[in-house]
Amino acid sequence: MNAFAGTVDRYAQTPRRVAWAGIVVGTLAFWLALPPVQARAPWVPIVVGLLAVACGIWALTRDVGRLAWGAVAVGLIGIGLGVLATRSSTGHLGSVVTWGSLIGSTLVWATPLAYAAVGGMVNERSGVVNIGLEGMMLAGAFFGCLGADKFGSWEMGLLIAAAGGAGFALLFAFFAIHLRADQIVGGTAINFLALGVTGYFFIQVYGQNGTPGDLPRIPNVNIGGLHEHTFFGDAIGHLNIMIWASFVLLIVAHVGLFHTPLGLRLRAVGEHPRAAETVGISVYATRYVAVTISGILAALGGAYLSIGFVGSFGENMTAGRGFIALAAVIFGNWRPFGAYAAAILFGASTALSFRLAVYSDAASVLFQALPYVLTLIAVAGVIGRSIPPAAVGRPYTKQ
Amino acid sequence: MADTATPVLELRGITKRFPGVVANDAVDFDLRKGEVHALLGENGAGKSTLMNILYGLYRHDEGEILLHGKPLDIDSPHEAIAAGIGMVHQHFMLIPVMTVAENIVLASEPTRGNVLLDMSAAEQRVRELAERFKFRVDPRARVEDITVGQQQRVEILKALYRNADILILDEPTAVLTPQEAIELFEILKELVAHGMSVIFISHKLNEVLEIADRITVLRRGKTVATVPREGATEADLARMMVGRDVLLRVEKQPASTGETLLHVEGLRVVDDRGLEAVRDVSLEVRAGEIVAIAGVDGNGQTELIDALTGLRRPAEGRITVGGREMTHASAHQFLEEGVGHIPEDRHRRGLVLEFSLAENLVLHDYAKRPYATRGFMSPRRVLDKARRLLEQFDVRGGTPSTPASALSGGNQQKVVIAREVDRDPRVLIAAQPTRGLDVGAIEFVHRRLVEQRDAGKAVLLISLELDEVLSLADRILVIYEGRIVGEFGPSVTEEELGIAMTGGRREAVA
Ligand SMILES: Nc1ncnc2c1ncn2[C@@H]1O[C@H](COP(=O)(O)OP(=O)(O)OP(=O)(O)O)[C@@H](O)[C@H]1O
Ligand SMILES: [Mg+2]
Repeated sequence: MNAFAGTVDRYAQTPRRVAWAGIVVGTLAFWLALPPVQARAPWVPIVVGLLAVACGIWALTRDVGRLAWGAVAVGLIGIGLGVLATRSSTGHLGSVVTWGSLIGSTLVWATPLAYAAVGGMVNERSGVVNIGLEGMMLAGAFFGCLGADKFGSWEMGLLIAAAGGAGFALLFAFFAIHLRADQIVGGTAINFLALGVTGYFFIQVYGQNGTPGDLPRIPNVNIGGLHEHTFFGDAIGHLNIMIWASFVLLIVAHVGLFHTPLGLRLRAVGEHPRAAETVGISVYATRYVAVTISGILAALGGAYLSIGFVGSFGENMTAGRGFIALAAVIFGNWRPFGAYAAAILFGASTALSFRLAVYSDAASVLFQALPYVLTLIAVAGVIGRSIPPAAVGRPYTKQ
Repeated sequence: MADTATPVLELRGITKRFPGVVANDAVDFDLRKGEVHALLGENGAGKSTLMNILYGLYRHDEGEILLHGKPLDIDSPHEAIAAGIGMVHQHFMLIPVMTVAENIVLASEPTRGNVLLDMSAAEQRVRELAERFKFRVDPRARVEDITVGQQQRVEILKALYRNADILILDEPTAVLTPQEAIELFEILKELVAHGMSVIFISHKLNEVLEIADRITVLRRGKTVATVPREGATEADLARMMVGRDVLLRVEKQPASTGETLLHVEGLRVVDDRGLEAVRDVSLEVRAGEIVAIAGVDGNGQTELIDALTGLRRPAEGRITVGGREMTHASAHQFLEEGVGHIPEDRHRRGLVLEFSLAENLVLHDYAKRPYATRGFMSPRRVLDKARRLLEQFDVRGGTPSTPASALSGGNQQKVVIAREVDRDPRVLIAAQPTRGLDVGAIEFVHRRLVEQRDAGKAVLLISLELDEVLSLADRILVIYEGRIVGEFGPSVTEEELGIAMTGGRREAVA
């Protein structure tokens, strides 16, 4: 049986690799037309793109399916975008595509999403859908400001933000887990509650003037020797502590989920709670912990936004990022690296869309819809299949 | 081999009430070291409930549990596990997407440095355990990829890994093929030889007589008697369970057949993995006969049933019902054409567990008169019908408004049968209709099937139980690797069938 499966796997490998190669080549078609190579002749992206399409078609004939279609699509998109780029002025191209600063701002935009997405992944893995991620993020953004302002330190800001997120998470957990309320309804209620609570206290505490200008900020890490306007300098020379911390979070989440007993138990609860209970795991306790962790992480993402990146709080300043984080969880197939990668992708498209304004404002706005389109495509199962934890969204009744 | 001195476990006066039912009524039960103690009883007698109490899943209202003579408070599975009790549930408690080793070590995982999961140590321990008790499992295989028989072994290993010395098996053979059941008995003998004590629940009297040292019978929540295996007969046990004499074989007149109602020609069906599961099957079932398809599980029966009920599109071939072309018809059209279906998996296909019994009973016809007029359901008519059917089919432990999930396994099955038979189908496809039923209920279902036949219906029975096939069928088709490999009359012997079922090789089957 096993030997048989092994042989099949080995034969199946080659066409899959070719399909992957097609995807890489298709990306290359676009890349060649961008700085620093900046090929100006339209035939360059066309030829390279066609090569990708050819890889895809070959893989299609070998039954690779989705991945092969992916290669074909990336090839065609590569041709399209590549040709567009060859026809754009080099000045515009140069100002849009500065790789170093593009990477830097991608990380900036991705980080709040990454915190919330890793949090969301943890609670979904335990079998709870947390639509309230958005509200918990917003709470983190506000309480982060409040803490930093009142205690005069950004560390306290983060602490208060985490406490605020945990508070909302516990409230949600009580309804969703103990009272077995519908998780979607409960999460939506949390979002409105957070919007109301933060809005109310914002006006009460800060009134018309908004948060003070001298708010303690989460500092950046300036790496000596990496200068501005160099690739590495722009990309990683001055990143916020929270961005570096998010890399650590990613590793911890991955190891925690897949290489510790607690992670195994968490996943068991999300897949088959009754089975988990019969080996002595408390389903309720596990879900409480998972939801609380997600609330804290979402809040940290929100706090980064307010006291790390922007430096102030504005009403509803998260503006749907919690929902995008939820999409990143799905896009990332309920895995830490996947969710993080999805957050990076969404961050990149935001970063790009701001720069595309040099071409046309309308195109830039339209471009911001890209993450959602990508999410739809991912959910429809084009890029591998996303398989949610089996018990996600279903309240558990103890016997 | 049982040591008769002290019971390792004793239940005294256990009472458990559910709303409207006394599931256990002052039950006494004891288990001796190194014995297999069988627990028998009708569907809904309270066997699973008693075991769930012992395992800490339910809390008893009265009575006490003694372990080695000392009272023990079992509040959750955690305490049961700590007390050395392991349980293989009637519906398995395994996580399909995880590996065998992950399932086994879950919640008591070996670690490196107290933090990291040590999967290689886990796999190693699983291998050692499996070797000690002489069974084969691959610790790295995913549970969803292994057979039901292997899954059951994983469940047993779960208990062994936790150092259980008391093992509860709730209807372990209901889902096994005869061959797998024989292997299970070998394993149980091995366990008992290592000093374990086993509680074994089954509806199959021959198995109980083969494996048990003592037998306790429950009826309607009460202990009827505990008897030693020696001297007990199937008829005695059946009488104790049901409270009356039970016919272990149905009586029936020779068939008088009419026109062909179900006709299948050159049918090919592909399974979920894209492999051909049904290969060139042709058969016909006439009015007034029961045709049985006998075979070892996994030889294309599921896919054949799916095709014959519109749940799966055949790749090739023709299906006609009463002369009407149905090859590409939908499940709904099959229902409309008068094809009834008792599905093999009552949880996946037979019932909506969250719905009430009344809703389950009108699942096909809720939108039709008299249950609905002008698009509105008439609750009164639905309730009337439900009450009548529950009474007529002797469904115990529920009213029309009880959710299906609260019924015992066997009573759930009766609900499905009631619905399908009551629709008065022309063709009745019965897949494993008595899986998990007690002897009394089996007799009842068999009578219904014969009644259907005598009323001029065409009945296609798909069963893994040779007893059932032999006592009901007028003609027997044997399926092997997706092909019909033989046709027999009702006087064929089990031996002959067994040989055909394994592809003609001379192997004993059951
Ligand atoms: N969770 C529950 N809620 C309400 N009633 C229940 C529940 N579980 C079991 N019952 C009832 O308790 C009685 C005993 O059920 P139990 O499952 O113990 O029967 P069983 O002997 O295992 O039957 P079977 O052989 O059909 O599995 C039944 O009448 C059943 O309807
Ligand atoms: Mg039971």
